[in-house]
This record gives sequence, structure tokens and C-alpha cells, in this order.
Amino acid sequence: MNERDGALQELVKRAMGGPADRELKHDLWPEMLRRIERPSIRIPWWDWALAAALLLCLLLLPEAIPLVLYQL
Amino acid sequence: MTGTVEAELEKFSRGDVQAFETLFREYQGEVYGWIVRMVRDPGVAEDLTVETFWRIYRARARFDPRRPFGAWARRIATNLALEHLSRRHVEKPLDQDLPPRAASYPVEDARVGADVREKVVAAFGELPAKLRAAATMALIEEAPYAEIANVLGITVNGVKSRVFRAVRLLRRSLEKRGVRP
Repeated sequence: MNERDGALQELVKRAMGGPADRELKHDLWPEMLRRIERPSIRIPWWDWALAAALLLCLLLLPEAIPLVLYQL
Repeated sequence: MTGTVEAELEKFSRGDVQAFETLFREYQGEVYGWIVRMVRDPGVAEDLTVETFWRIYRARARFDPRRPFGAWARRIATNLALEHLSRRHVEKPLDQDLPPRAASYPVEDARVGADVREKVVAAFGELPAKLRAAATMALIEEAPYAEIANVLGITVNGVKSRVFRAVRLLRRSLEKRGVRP
């Protein structure tokens, strides 16, 4: 790094506030545990099967699309 | 100790939460340290540390206990930090950002005027995420290139190249703003 780069580095350091404190101040495990225990939204397999069946029907019988849209 | 870690890794890969807790406590400080040096915001670094371990936890079945856990964690942490940096393109000065959570954060030097500081922060925020991460660690954190290479998962020459490009872009951007360091 040359002298000009050194001056730039000094300016950046002063403007940005110097090195960050790398020490972790508290234990993050409780937060992690909450994350693990949070119930995840699960879509049951029969909903997927229903959606797949509907999609298949629409692909095989495209004329049924307006009917399905009308029912929505 | 190594044997213990290996045993914990083995148990963790089979889904043992207690083993995961042991690993978490062993590595959380290290992971936080890597992240905070890149994002320079303690609150964000804590969130990203938890997110890193959450991704590790979800991918436990794919983890090979014979491979180093630290390298895997570092790769995930680095990717998350870079993602964060690219989302948050223009950085705000820290004292306006998170006052309560950033209490331990270093304050800007009073010798730099507010106007110049704002311009430096804006120019720094415009750097592409990968260059910004390397430049932050090299210019502000003054970490050795070998250490930066280790955190970013690239070679020392790769770090040098990124820092060089970042300095060039920074200088150009500052000159456009009327600041000549």
C-alpha cells in the first residue's frame, strides 16, 4: 500500500469508526432454541396431491379452466 | 478435545439437539467474530450468527462429520454476510443507525467533518459487496490478508486484488464527491 492509499485508509478508518468489537456480549443459544422450537408451517401431503390432481385435470381438459375460474 | 468434537459432530448429524447446543456454544463466538468484521453492526451480526446456525441445523443430515465443522460454518456465515451487504447497498453512518444495540461500537473520529464522513460512508456503501467485505476487513479492521482470505474462502492474491479494486473505486468515488484523501 502506497502513501496515497495509506491516507485513504486513515480517512476511511476515521469516518467509519475503527475496528469493531469482535467479542460476543451474550449467549445466543436461547434465541437459537426459540428458532428451533418455532413451529414451521407444513402443508399436508394430501393438499399437495389435490393441487397436483387439479393441475393434471386442467392440463388434460383445458376447456374446464373457465369452469374452475367461475367456481373460485 | 478433538475426539469430543468428532463425537458431537457425529451425534449432531444424526439430529441430536444437545450435540448441536455443544457445537453452538463452542463456535458462536468465532462465527460472530467473522460476521461482525464484515457487517460492522453487532445487532445484525448476532442475527446473522443465529441464521448461520439455523441453516447448519437444517442441513445437518447432509453434513459429513469427518469434514471440518468450522470451514462449513465459515462458508455459510460468509455467504450470509455478503448477502446482507449486497442487500444493504448504501450504508448509513453507525451513530444514526442502531444506537442502543451498537453501544459498544467504535465511534467516528471527531477530526473528520460530518460532511466528509457522510461522503466516505456513501462511497464505501456503493462498493460491491465482495469488495466491501474485503476492504472493510483490510482497511478498517486491519486484519492480515491471510486471515481475510481464510474468512472469505479465497486466496491471499484474491484478497489483494479485491482490496486494490476497492481502493481504486473508493478513490474515484470520493474524487467525484470532491474529497481528495
